[in-house]
Amino acid sequence: MLKVEGLKKMYGRMAALDGLCMHVKKGALYGFVGPNGAGKTTTIKILTGLLLPDGGTVIVDGLDAMKDPGKVMEKIGYVPDFFGVYDNLKVWEYMELFSACGGLYGLNARKRSRDLLEQVGLGEKTEYYVDGLSRGMKQRLCLARALIHNPPILVMDEPTSGLDPGTRYEFKEILKDLREQGKTVVISSHILSELSEVCTDIGIVEQGKMVVEGSIDDILNQINVRSPLLITVCRNKEQALNLLRAHPYVETIAIRQNDIMVGFTGEQEDEAMLLKQLIEAGVLVGGFVRERGNLESVFLQIINHEEGMVLISEN
Amino acid sequence: MKINPIYWQEVRVSSRSFRLPLIVFLCDTIMALAALLNMYSMVTQAKATAEIQYASFLNLYVLVACIEFVMILLIVPALTSGSISGERERQTLNLLLTTRMTPADIVVGKLMASLSTMILLIVSGFPVLALVFIYGGVTVKDIVLLLLTFVSTAVLSGSVGICCSSVFKKSTIATVVSYCVMAALVLGTAAAARAAAASGPSFSDWLLLVNPAAPFGAVMGKQMGSARRLSVFETWTGGSFQRLTAGGWLWLSLVVQLLLAGVCLYTAISQVNPRRKRRWKY
Repeated sequence: MLKVEGLKKMYGRMAALDGLCMHVKKGALYGFVGPNGAGKTTTIKILTGLLLPDGGTVIVDGLDAMKDPGKVMEKIGYVPDFFGVYDNLKVWEYMELFSACGGLYGLNARKRSRDLLEQVGLGEKTEYYVDGLSRGMKQRLCLARALIHNPPILVMDEPTSGLDPGTRYEFKEILKDLREQGKTVVISSHILSELSEVCTDIGIVEQGKMVVEGSIDDILNQINVRSPLLITVCRNKEQALNLLRAHPYVETIAIRQNDIMVGFTGEQEDEAMLLKQLIEAGVLVGGFVRERGNLESVFLQIINHEEGMVLISEN
Repeated sequence: MKINPIYWQEVRVSSRSFRLPLIVFLCDTIMALAALLNMYSMVTQAKATAEIQYASFLNLYVLVACIEFVMILLIVPALTSGSISGERERQTLNLLLTTRMTPADIVVGKLMASLSTMILLIVSGFPVLALVFIYGGVTVKDIVLLLLTFVSTAVLSGSVGICCSSVFKKSTIATVVSYCVMAALVLGTAAAARAAAASGPSFSDWLLLVNPAAPFGAVMGKQMGSARRLSVFETWTGGSFQRLTAGGWLWLSLVVQLLLAGVCLYTAISQVNPRRKRRWKY
């Protein structure tokens, strides 16, 4: 649905994007993650036609964004990280303005606006002035505005920043609805726990390059292999440590009270063998589990760049 | 007919704000007071001398037209200089640019909105200007010609305002620069024309082609039939109404000023276009 290859953008001498590649499948809810200054907003601005890249290609639903920007813009709805509202305009007037800007007039525009406002939970607020709405309502109105021309792709830049937990939950539910409707959603956010709940795919960008990309389950499985084994030893701890030190797949060993945290590079079968060896050696094992990584640990591992370093999830 | 959505939105918002009726009220009050005081002075003079000077009514026409012209020069840049920069400040410009609206649609919509405000001002002041019809001396054709110069001036000053608004990010800077540009066009070219008049009259006339006050002065001079009433203008500029009203100078001047407005609009459109390679930033 969305294919970005070798995207480059320079700001003066600084490279904001350095050959970024991005592949978003149709119907995916794609989380676009990266530290501040990684190039997320620059990428989103290029996708939405607000910035001209210095190199690379952007293909949106088979259309080249550089050659046919007008048609590409019709396929993308953009929700920025700010609200962008007019004073002295009512909610229905705001929607009517952007309907007309999207080429939708008259009854069709009114019906589409009403349906969208109902969908985002603002059906009762049509006569309210936009600047009088709460932050959460404004963000939902922005989402309705972005959907007014019924685009197949929705690009959202930090849509939940500054929203309270309740509104963020509602926003997530709306995103799930959109996915069920078949929309492809690209969402940039720093709230990683939220992304892992709703996203199907993820791309982690750093210093203008895509570092990791793929389905969220695949990435978490990859990272779980690098997560430490947590072994709870009830008796014969010294014997357990001797065995672990001699094991070829053990890289690091750390002790936390009764738990031994082991940097283990083996596969699932090797884990089972290690457990068997420990039991056969007379170690009383109270727990044996591979700590499950989450999106935050993936993100931190990647941006920290320290090979072999495993960060324990805060969960 | 599909109306430009930007124009429609601007008109809707401005009609709701307190600013528009206040501007119309103040402008019409100033014109009406000036006209009524002028008429009162004429009537008082007629009572005292027992003779009516019909030329005085033409003075009333010149006075009202001058007030209206100055108001156009002062108000239009204020209306337009915040149009694009205001959208940037509200962060709505990017939203508009991600729709089907082209940069040209946005700029033209903004210009149309400010011109419609200006036309409202001109039309609302029309009854005061039409006082002269009671006594005669000015034809409908003269009024149409005067309105044409008003519209040309409004388009030029509006385009300058929009151009500055698109080049500068902050509305305050854009407003100051657009007034400076208009001052350079009106007073600067007048001063340059005066200085150039010493070397030859034709060169000073060329300089006055871009001065919006010059065609207005020429129209007034032509309609008065005497250069004496507007001799101040001639003194300032070194131009001569006999030369400026002769031949096609007036029409050439209007065309040049509309072309200048076109250049300003083109600059504004290219500045608004996000896909343009930027060479500088302000």
